[in-house]
Amino acid sequence: MSALIFMKRSREQRKGEARPAGKRDRNKEKTKEKILAAALELFREHGLDGTTTKQISRKAGIAEGTLFNYFKTKEDLALFFFQKETHDLVEWYGKETRLQRAPLPEKLFAVIHRQLEYIAPYEEFIGAVFFRSLQPHSKLSPLSLESQELRLKYLRFVRDVLAQAEEKKEIPRVGDLGAYAIGLFYIGIVMHWLHDTSRAKQKTLALLDRSLNLATQVLKKGAWDW
Amino acid sequence: MNSRRHSIGRAARLAQMGAGLAGSYLAYQLQRPFTNGDAGSEQRRALRKNSARKIREGLQDLRGPVMKLGQALSMQSHLLDAEVIEELSGLQMQAPPMHPTLMRAQFKGAFGKNPDEVFRSFEEQPFAAASLGQVHNAVTQNGDDVVVKIQYPAIREAIESDFKMLRAAGFAGRVTGHLPATVIDEVERGIVAETDYVQEARNIEYFRQHLAPLSFVRVPKVYRELSRDQVLTMSRVTGLRLQEFLRTNPAQELRDKIGTALTRLFFFQLFRVQALHADPHPGNYLFNDDGSVGLVDFGCVKYLKPEVVRCYAQFWSREWVHDAHLFAEIIRVIFGPKVSPDEPRVRRCMNGIRRFYDEFHPLGEHPAVLDLADSKFMDGLNELAKTLLKNKFLSPEFLFLSRTESGMCLLLHALKSRVITTQIAREWMPAISKRKK
Repeated sequence: MSALIFMKRSREQRKGEARPAGKRDRNKEKTKEKILAAALELFREHGLDGTTTKQISRKAGIAEGTLFNYFKTKEDLALFFFQKETHDLVEWYGKETRLQRAPLPEKLFAVIHRQLEYIAPYEEFIGAVFFRSLQPHSKLSPLSLESQELRLKYLRFVRDVLAQAEEKKEIPRVGDLGAYAIGLFYIGIVMHWLHDTSRAKQKTLALLDRSLNLATQVLKKGAWDW
Repeated sequence: MNSRRHSIGRAARLAQMGAGLAGSYLAYQLQRPFTNGDAGSEQRRALRKNSARKIREGLQDLRGPVMKLGQALSMQSHLLDAEVIEELSGLQMQAPPMHPTLMRAQFKGAFGKNPDEVFRSFEEQPFAAASLGQVHNAVTQNGDDVVVKIQYPAIREAIESDFKMLRAAGFAGRVTGHLPATVIDEVERGIVAETDYVQEARNIEYFRQHLAPLSFVRVPKVYRELSRDQVLTMSRVTGLRLQEFLRTNPAQELRDKIGTALTRLFFFQLFRVQALHADPHPGNYLFNDDGSVGLVDFGCVKYLKPEVVRCYAQFWSREWVHDAHLFAEIIRVIFGPKVSPDEPRVRRCMNGIRRFYDEFHPLGEHPAVLDLADSKFMDGLNELAKTLLKNKFLSPEFLFLSRTESGMCLLLHALKSRVITTQIAREWMPAISKRKK
């Protein structure tokens, strides 16, 4: 349960982060986004492995040395992509007032579908990242220290969504494990999505819908209480 | 690999449903020694009702083809117990709808835009959800009232996988006990066709054009530019569904008028259009107090071969009763060369059909007004269906024709209409050229 310890520590850290970002931070963030946009475009043309840091820095209009100040490797760049994705997700969900009153299967569907829509334009990039994350020494690996903060942010978010449903007695208490289960489920769905050749990836939509309905029903019937 | 994983999930669900049913039947068997007489049958009834509910809930969750099969079965009242039918008929108009997020995702997949960007207004809650999709009210940018039918994602793939599984598991055979493989194929073909909204749009336009001579029939107009493979936009057709209409206590005169309209609609389709709106469940008809009938849902349409239409007319004439050549020809058209007209079961069934037709379409110079409220028509229909099933007298070519005809009979009965069916049939009946002997 080392991850749970991480989760606690990370919550404390978050308190420290809460101060408003200064101008310097904002500029830094802007440059990072510029680099990411340039990189994503190149990844789409040449693939993750076929793109050089030189190409990225040239496209972003910065010196190659500056690039390394921001991102040490392409994997750091990918991590930044997912940080932005998670940030976008949390912010979006906070504004979806109708969705927050919807039944749990719809909420989870909407959350995962939002993630898929976010990554949809970069399908090949995601596929390559997915493949890399299977290597034990990759920073993108779910077990790497570098990816923990991101993962915990996502898990905390899912935990909050589930907690809403617990409070409303929609499902029994599933605790942190519920969030982990959804996290794993999401990875499976992305796998399915990557291989889905149906139009507008609707097989994935159907799978997502059916499995979330089924899972909620199973939870309601108390299958969790083992 | 994906589709396989998909079908395993559905298989598990089906198996679960089967297990649930088996469980409760087993429970009943265990209790049986302790109950006797009426108590037993009362309990059996309750149990069957319970099983029926489980079937319905299971089918609703599975949606799509299995549910559609259940729906088809619910119309075959002779196949199943009354308790089961009662529950299954619940499938006809309702299924758990897609939630707004899924509906929007599916819509966006088709249009690249959200519904509220395409329409001036769009009701997120569907007013009807059926096995394969759901229907929403909307207003176009031009201000036209329309209905928008949206299909559940990947339903076609699910149908194919379900039918594969149904065949493998022998489930369909076990439930129906009778249906031959060719008929199951025809049912699958019909259900797959229902998922093709482009084809459905063509059907609607075809019927709108060809039914124009019948002023009392309303067929929607398709909005092509607002339709896609899995989204279909049509003008709204007015009228009440059967049960709502009956609740308004329509006068006998109106019942007769509508009954006549439905009968004319059937024979006009059969003999003139040579195509049938072949999904006769009551939800597809809308009734108005001016006696007009709205037709909706053209997913299941059967375009008939001319020889089938001619065969029906020959058959209807009942001249085959005394004409062995004509009899042999009719049997050949219905079944092809494999079935001999000399088989005793063939005679038995044809006589059964004749008996029913003598009631429902009595011959003679001055055909009588039939009071369809009379239960003898329902009994006759059930009796006939039993005979046909028992003797495996089912032809894929005639499956939808007979389904439409019995559907019409059921509607007329529910409406308690009085109709001169024979006169209407003769109105458009093609002349039957007598064979030279």
